[in-house]
Amino acid sequence: MGRFNTRCKLFLPLAGILMFAMALVPAAYGQEDEDAAYDALIAKGKAAYNVRCALCHGKDGDGKGEMKSVTRVEKTGRTIVVTPWDFTRAVFRFRTTPTGCLPSDADLERTIRKGISASLMPAHGHIDGDEIEGIIEYIKWFSEDWDEFDPDDESCFPVAINKPEFVGSADSIARGEVLFKKNKCFECHGVDGKGDGDKAKDLKDDWGNRILPFNFTTGNMKRESTAEAVYLTLASGLDGTAMPGYNEAIKEEEKWHIASYALKLMGLIKSEDGH
Amino acid sequence: MNSRFYLSLMLISSLVLMAFLAIAFNREMTPVWKDYQTEYKETLIKNAKDDGTRERAEKIQVGLQQIYIKALNKSDRCTSCHAGVENPLMAAAEVPYKQHSGNYLKNHPLPKFGCTLCHRGQGRALNIAEAHGEEHQHWDFPIVPAKYIQSSCASCHDYKMLETEGGEKVAKGEKLFREKGCLGCHKLNGVGGALGKDIAGIANKAYYYFSMAAVVGERNMYSWIKQHFDDPRKIVPESQMRAFLTDEEADLLTTYMLTFRTDEMPRSYRLIKNIDKVATDGKSMYTAYCSACHSDGKTSVYDEIFARTIPAIRNPSFLKTISNSELKRIVKEGRKGTQMTAWKSEAAGLTEKQIDEIVKYVAKDRPSEKSRPFNVAKIKSDIERGAEIYNNRCALCHGEEGKGGENLLGMTLRDSALSPEFIAITVRDGRKGTPMVPFGNGGIGLSNQEIADTVAYVKNLTNDKK
Repeated sequence: MGRFNTRCKLFLPLAGILMFAMALVPAAYGQEDEDAAYDALIAKGKAAYNVRCALCHGKDGDGKGEMKSVTRVEKTGRTIVVTPWDFTRAVFRFRTTPTGCLPSDADLERTIRKGISASLMPAHGHIDGDEIEGIIEYIKWFSEDWDEFDPDDESCFPVAINKPEFVGSADSIARGEVLFKKNKCFECHGVDGKGDGDKAKDLKDDWGNRILPFNFTTGNMKRESTAEAVYLTLASGLDGTAMPGYNEAIKEEEKWHIASYALKLMGLIKSEDGH
Repeated sequence: MNSRFYLSLMLISSLVLMAFLAIAFNREMTPVWKDYQTEYKETLIKNAKDDGTRERAEKIQVGLQQIYIKALNKSDRCTSCHAGVENPLMAAAEVPYKQHSGNYLKNHPLPKFGCTLCHRGQGRALNIAEAHGEEHQHWDFPIVPAKYIQSSCASCHDYKMLETEGGEKVAKGEKLFREKGCLGCHKLNGVGGALGKDIAGIANKAYYYFSMAAVVGERNMYSWIKQHFDDPRKIVPESQMRAFLTDEEADLLTTYMLTFRTDEMPRSYRLIKNIDKVATDGKSMYTAYCSACHSDGKTSVYDEIFARTIPAIRNPSFLKTISNSELKRIVKEGRKGTQMTAWKSEAAGLTEKQIDEIVKYVAKDRPSEKSRPFNVAKIKSDIERGAEIYNNRCALCHGEEGKGGENLLGMTLRDSALSPEFIAITVRDGRKGTPMVPFGNGGIGLSNQEIADTVAYVKNLTNDKK
């Protein structure tokens, strides 16, 4: 019994250590596994980025790809020279997150999948999900700002979208038109929404490049041409451009009225009564 | 009771009828021209500075005036209201008493020319609305708005003369018409593209020729032409017209359009001082026939109206790859499935020589160094492998199966006009100055074999279509 006790005394700590070690191994192994998976994802993303994105956005994500720029002539004759977006600035326009925040992965994925037809960015809806995931992660390598990004930060959670019933109604359009004036949207976007307001001539983006306000009569927004997209633009702004976020300045309901009016300007409301 | 009722009914109806007759009689006896003429006469008497003038004014007989022009079988009664058109004393007066502006009447005496020959409208009418043709549906050629009136000068005169002798607007319009490249899409007298309507004789088309639904204000030919320059798709929703004009340019072009009349003037009415020559050098013809779409031809642009990319045909990197004879074939035959017109004489009406001149101009900046040959014919290609590469690399911009399409950067590739060698070189070297980047060794790094496979796939698409 005594001998047994002595043995036990030795054995128990040993067993304890052994069990602890055994418990640790999978944990350490898992960490390594995750790192490897992430590296693989980045490698896949990099390869996909270099094939699919670098032509325009540049190998270093600075928007200086071989393609340089594209020119688009609108139906009204306005000519727009589009240069690819520079990811090294870590400023993004098409977000569901509030102004000043980085976009969510879903935001980036939406842009990649649907493209930006108004900028002639092709839609990449057909490519594999993990390839897109890789591209998204790889894009984050172009700026250190992503390192400080905390996905659990509530202040950067996506803006809630609750589209009311009245959007698109004749009454809402009329209110939107009044708000379009009241909030001085016409100063840039023009009285008829043709993007030819008085201030349109000297608009610049945050980096000093000439930019043009949206011409609603093209009916083709860079985001999707929907009431939700107009609402989001008003709520979260187009960071980097001259379009600020109006989340506080314009009331929730008013944003939707402006969205109604924007739909009308874009020719997306067909019948007389507004629907 | 009954008979009394009917009696009074008859009495009332008779009274009403008599009232109507009285009104009609009164209206017939006091036409608007009578008032105008009486006032004209009174003004002259009142303003007379000497007895002679007063006497002459007092002798004016108020009555219907008519100018009958035998050579044209025209009767113009316009002077019944516009009594002072020939009177210098009325130079500062209001319309309709005002003297005719400029010295036009000196060279165009009323007895020979009348009014409606230039101004149009209805010469025989005796009230304003009918004479001016404001009741649009019932008179196809209403009075020409003052800002377009110079269009009439071109019926008898040449543009060089008009430039300096009172027809500067229509002369400017004529120049602008060529500079803006209207003939690229519109045929006039047998020459011009096929995309738009033939515009010969448009100024003599009846009211119902024009789609007036969206015209704002007075609905007539003049408003239609002007407003369709301002916003083509508002007036004709399916229009593909590229008209990016200032208000002034639109007015000048409208003036010029109104010269396309079919009523020919008798010889004795015409005065041609110079024979107008249409420039036939390459640059002028490029401007007239090509520039509306291709602009200066140096950069490719995506065009929202055509919903496709318009190629940069004077881009050196393009010219390096294509020979003049290939260019000529494209100009002559056009490109099926695109807006590009076939310019051969049977179609758009250009002669071989004219096309040669245009091609020479287009190819003016061709670099002396030619593209390195690819010799694609010597490589055994694999279409299936090509399809894979195409879908992976090319379809994003050139669309599924090379169809191109809306909001896509690339050209349609379903076109038999281009040789496999041309496509192979373009894929390898890219097209500098356009979004087409080099996919060969100097760029994306596709091997010649891979490019040949892709070209085989693309050419196969074209063949499928045939």
